[in-house]
Amino acid sequence: MVDRPKILLVDDEKAITANLRPFLERSGFEVDTAADGEEALAKIRTFDPDLLVLDVLMPRLDGREVLRRLRRADDWTPVILLTQVGESTERAMALEEGADDYLNKPFDPHELVARIRAVMRRARPGQPPLASAEQLVSGALRLDRRSRRAYMGAEELHLTPKAAALLEYLMTHPDELLSRERLLDVVWGWDYPAGTRTVDTRVAEIRRALDEDPSDPLYIETVPGQGYRFIGLVEAGR
Amino acid sequence: MTARFAWRLAVALLPLAGGVLAAVLLWNVDSLENPILYARADAGTVVLLFGAILSLFAGAGLVLRAVTDRFRAQVADARAQATEERRRFVQRLDHELKNPLTAIRAGLANLCNDQGPSVQQEALSSVEAEVLRLSRLTADLRKLAELETRPLERAPVNLAELLREAVTLAEEQPGAEARTLTLILPQAPWPLPVVLGDWDLLFLAVYNLLDNAIKFTDPGDTVEVRAVEEGTFVIIEVADTGPGIPQDELERVWEELYRGQSARGIPGSGLGLALVRAVVERHGGQVSLRSRAGHGTVVRVRLPVTSQ
Repeated sequence: MVDRPKILLVDDEKAITANLRPFLERSGFEVDTAADGEEALAKIRTFDPDLLVLDVLMPRLDGREVLRRLRRADDWTPVILLTQVGESTERAMALEEGADDYLNKPFDPHELVARIRAVMRRARPGQPPLASAEQLVSGALRLDRRSRRAYMGAEELHLTPKAAALLEYLMTHPDELLSRERLLDVVWGWDYPAGTRTVDTRVAEIRRALDEDPSDPLYIETVPGQGYRFIGLVEAGR
Repeated sequence: MTARFAWRLAVALLPLAGGVLAAVLLWNVDSLENPILYARADAGTVVLLFGAILSLFAGAGLVLRAVTDRFRAQVADARAQATEERRRFVQRLDHELKNPLTAIRAGLANLCNDQGPSVQQEALSSVEAEVLRLSRLTADLRKLAELETRPLERAPVNLAELLREAVTLAEEQPGAEARTLTLILPQAPWPLPVVLGDWDLLFLAVYNLLDNAIKFTDPGDTVEVRAVEEGTFVIIEVADTGPGIPQDELERVWEELYRGQSARGIPGSGLGLALVRAVVERHGGQVSLRSRAGHGTVVRVRLPVTSQ
């Protein structure tokens, strides 16, 4: 039998781990659980997971601190944070601290599995994820994440804050099919009727700024009926 | 409170400080004349003056007392109102949670009893539907909480375009085809001015109003969206010829989770108008609502035209 990827699921809510564990196992993963940050750190040593699903709010040692300690020790095991707060600053912080992705509670368990697979596919063993890079470069396009400014060559692109946030998410998830709902959740933190149309408007804004032809894109591809995909090769810049 | 007291004390001592300064100058600066003044008055005038000064002090004290009392009463009123609103909110939240939870428990009971697959399937899908309903409720509550704190994007918004898009989208809603939807936008002498704001949030607000207008009217009714410029404001109105809102419910409709009597059978969280209000107020605007039972409702949004 092929080795099943190992997931460490960390959440202080027993009801959540008890129900997610069998679901993840049926989805083809080997799963262990931890109820708080300290237990998680201990299990990382013994269980040696391929990916961590980490709740943020936990007693004793919270998820954010676990993540910080891992990254400080140069451990780049992929991490998906489960956030409770939808605020964009909170999410930006999650990425800055070196999380590979995040998911808002309450979530659809299928979405978690999709996210785990996407993160694993993207992960480069032992290396920092794109999500923690300060600069993202794709061809002539460069995004400075600290200042949220994008440049094409030497020229700065004029993007609204939301378009910049959207571009950032697309670039940190290259070659991944992202549904409009997912993008909406990322940039706005919540879904609303007609929201998916808003995503289209913002993508159109980015494309205008990039001077990109939607029918022959270099960067953002439309996947009809499904969403968008960043097709440019993305590297961490210095 | 102490900072305010210190400030007041400083203001009260200002005349004394002025007097001291003037006296020191008069005494010490040689070039200034410091003449000796003599005042003469008969006893009647002195007594009168004395009485007047005393009354002035007493009057000032009284006024001060009245003002503080009124201020205290206002604070107490506001507090009582906030407590009352909070109590109503908790009560409504309890109610909103109770129904789906009851359904879920019943559904789970059906699942546990060894019944046929069709019963199980039905129980499963109803449990799932109720769970989604609860998810939507928490999502809406979060939206509302975030609206008050998240930074607002302030970009030029073309309201005419926004209204056109919102109406187009509302036309796709089930039931819209049975109602007459009209949009009235000024063309002369000039079109609507651009406002600074967050397109997405303003769209959400307008769409919510349209959604309500369609949901709470009957087939054959008319829904009218109109906008005009009024001084330094843009007024957007969403009006309908629906059944209207009873007088005694009018005050409550903006409150979180409030659902009117007639709204009971119609899906929704009772957070729509609260969201509209939060969005508009974050943009420095106001909302109001007029309604007559049996005739219809008009919601009015007043947004400032902020020049850059």
